Amino acid sequence: MSGGLLQIHDPLRPQGPVVGIDLGTTNSLVASVLQGKPTCIPVDEAGGVLLPSVVHYAPDGSVAVGARARELAQEHPTTTLASVKRFMGKGRHDAETRKLGAYRFADGAGDVVRFEVAGGAPVTPIEVSAEILRALKRRAEAFFSARVEQAVVTVPAYFDDAQRQATRDAGRLAGLEVLRLLNEPTAAALAYGLDKGSQGTFAVYDLGGGTFDVSILQLVEGVFQVKSTGGDSALGGDDFDRAIAEQMLAARGLAAPTPAQVTALLAAARVAKEALTTEESTVLEVEGHRTELARAQVEQWIAPWIQKTGPVCRRALKDAGLTAADLDGVILVGGATRVPAVRRFVEQLFGRPPLGDIDPDQVVALGAAVQADLLTNAQRQDEVLLLDVIPLSLGLETMGGVAEKLIQRNTTIPTAASQVFTTFQDDQTGIDIHVVQGERELVADCRSLARFRLSGIPPMAAGMARVEVRFEVNADGLLSVSARELSTGVAQSITVKPTHGLTDEQVEQMLLDSIEHAEEDIQARQLVEQRVEAERVLADATKQLKENPDLIEASERSELEAVMAEVRRLASGNDAEALRETMRLLDELAKPFLERVMNRAMNRALAGHSVEQV
Amino acid sequence: MECWNCQSELTAAPVVCPRCGKVQPVPPGATLFDALGLAPSVEVDLPAVERTYRERSLLVHPDRFATAQARERRFALEQTTLLNDAYRTLRDRAARAFYLLKLHGQDLTREDAGAQRAMPHAFLEEVMALREALDAHRTARALEPARAMSEDVGRRRTAALEEAERALGELLRGGGQASALDAASQALARVRYFTRFLEEVEAMEEALAE
Repeated sequence: MSGGLLQIHDPLRPQGPVVGIDLGTTNSLVASVLQGKPTCIPVDEAGGVLLPSVVHYAPDGSVAVGARARELAQEHPTTTLASVKRFMGKGRHDAETRKLGAYRFADGAGDVVRFEVAGGAPVTPIEVSAEILRALKRRAEAFFSARVEQAVVTVPAYFDDAQRQATRDAGRLAGLEVLRLLNEPTAAALAYGLDKGSQGTFAVYDLGGGTFDVSILQLVEGVFQVKSTGGDSALGGDDFDRAIAEQMLAARGLAAPTPAQVTALLAAARVAKEALTTEESTVLEVEGHRTELARAQVEQWIAPWIQKTGPVCRRALKDAGLTAADLDGVILVGGATRVPAVRRFVEQLFGRPPLGDIDPDQVVALGAAVQADLLTNAQRQDEVLLLDVIPLSLGLETMGGVAEKLIQRNTTIPTAASQVFTTFQDDQTGIDIHVVQGERELVADCRSLARFRLSGIPPMAAGMARVEVRFEVNADGLLSVSARELSTGVAQSITVKPTHGLTDEQVEQMLLDSIEHAEEDIQARQLVEQRVEAERVLADATKQLKENPDLIEASERSELEAVMAEVRRLASGNDAEALRETMRLLDELAKPFLERVMNRAMNRALAGHSVEQV
Repeated sequence: MECWNCQSELTAAPVVCPRCGKVQPVPPGATLFDALGLAPSVEVDLPAVERTYRERSLLVHPDRFATAQARERRFALEQTTLLNDAYRTLRDRAARAFYLLKLHGQDLTREDAGAQRAMPHAFLEEVMALREALDAHRTARALEPARAMSEDVGRRRTAALEEAERALGELLRGGGQASALDAASQALARVRYFTRFLEEVEAMEEALAE
């Protein structure tokens, strides 16, 4: 036995085993490398390794996690929380909170989701996740008879910065040092790669309870290089359950079901879905209502959700610069890939039967255990290395609400980029910086991560201050932003925290939408650029007219002012083409006047020169 | 220069100290070519770049230092960040050319810089005409003629890139400094315009495919 109480604690090398944790939407697992082999650790008396990601809050303040909590869900539907992963890093009014479910949402400080529970104050998804992590930690400690303090925790590859930050915070709350946030498909590939000692290019199709990821990876000489990733962090097997439950509600004409009815229906739908993975038909029974369900019927109901994964996979292949024919294999991950319709869809999409020889429920946890071992076991360090990518582009808001991308999606992490900004006005002492994540051209269509202000810029003429903003994304995919004024070195550093809950079905939709809206975006961007240009031209013309009234005849002036008014009017409209045309006309008309202004300025300059020479 | 850990004298700025094996900080002014152990050049040996990238990643990646002290972890992060940037930039022919130009003091990749590069009037008119034609195809949702334009512009882009590479090659050999720099800059500014155009056609194709 190792890791006893008498061992001296070295803060740099905490004692005890390191584990890999798959913190799933439906089930969570903990695994570790035992005698050189990644193994899932039992979490119940029967030796099962799946801990249901369900937490029950009792009126006396006690908390139950796992199978016991799931049993209590029927009697206490709103104080028993399932699938909270869907709400990680989300705001109070996120689209996710409007889906069918028995949650009772609470208000509170800051824009995060909170659930009303018995026996205490409302809890956030971070706290609920921490309960699950704590339960896993305790099970592992009982198994090893030793303290477990370090873990690799997996996240969907498509999680944005706010969702990753929330997961890391949950680990911290549970008393775990999170050695690495590891992307789930990458973890799965690691489990397969080591098993087979293979080389080649693989696609990982990961459809879990609440999230979908696809990653394209290349394995060469022990280096796993993620080429591209894509996904939808609000799509999974839960949607299949809801689709079935909604059909049942409609059939019974239940428009306003009680939370208990919703919980019962969702549970029955899940059981039916699982039965239909092996049977052609099953009976769904809720509150004495028996419904015969055929597999073909249910496949029709869930088809729209399965099909949503198609464009995401095609985009990932394209981003990797590959076609399906270039792949050496397709790996299935996640419980929802047990559904035969999903398997058929994947086979058709990639033109080959997928690999599923490692249990799709366990493969992510096994890979996480391997990574935990690689990170801490000096003897294994030369074996394998993972090179992962950032899933969504990062950018800054620029003039006119246009998002300028500084780090493109699918860039290998860690990475960094910087951009120099300048002041627009004399003696301007602050610059506001808005950090966004997403693929769309306009800031309004991206997810806002944080706003911060660089202050204390020494007063200088407009354009003289030069502020360098640097984005750093570390190997966990977490972003930090720093900024400094180059001539004085005035610095401010922030770590991006999920500061606001957002109107973001868009977040997951962003990449999909950017395909649909690509054309619209370009036009919108052109319009914004035209407007900025129009304002500059108008300001310039007004200034010259004011300073040189004697250089323009009255008729010429009134004509010019009429066209200026027209430019002003069009700049507040949406017709980029008309605006461009009218600006061209203004340019023509102003030319003779501006030439006279220019001549005067030159004459003055020359005169000044000769005076000095005298 | 000496190793921050064992103080042994270091020559040629190694990534890790040959004596104690600790990761060293990125030396000031290190270029992307330095990160991959290459001399600045227009052409690179791509298989060699892949190999060096893997080898150096295995040496300096933060995963190798998960339990190391904070200072060494920071150096590993810096080294890997530079290495990743080098790999991404130098593998791509156009990105490499833009980077070489940047090493000669002209950064055309920044959003605000390209617009400042004064372009010959004839070229601007050419681009304007291309854009107007593409706008017409977009309005008509006519994909085939847009694709034909894309192929033609792709050829013009390659030609401009080759021209830039010749000028950059001359610069690197130490010949015709000012004129070669100007020729490279002009040619790459054209590449930038053409690339934008190709991206627009691609966006249009995706929009129409939906």
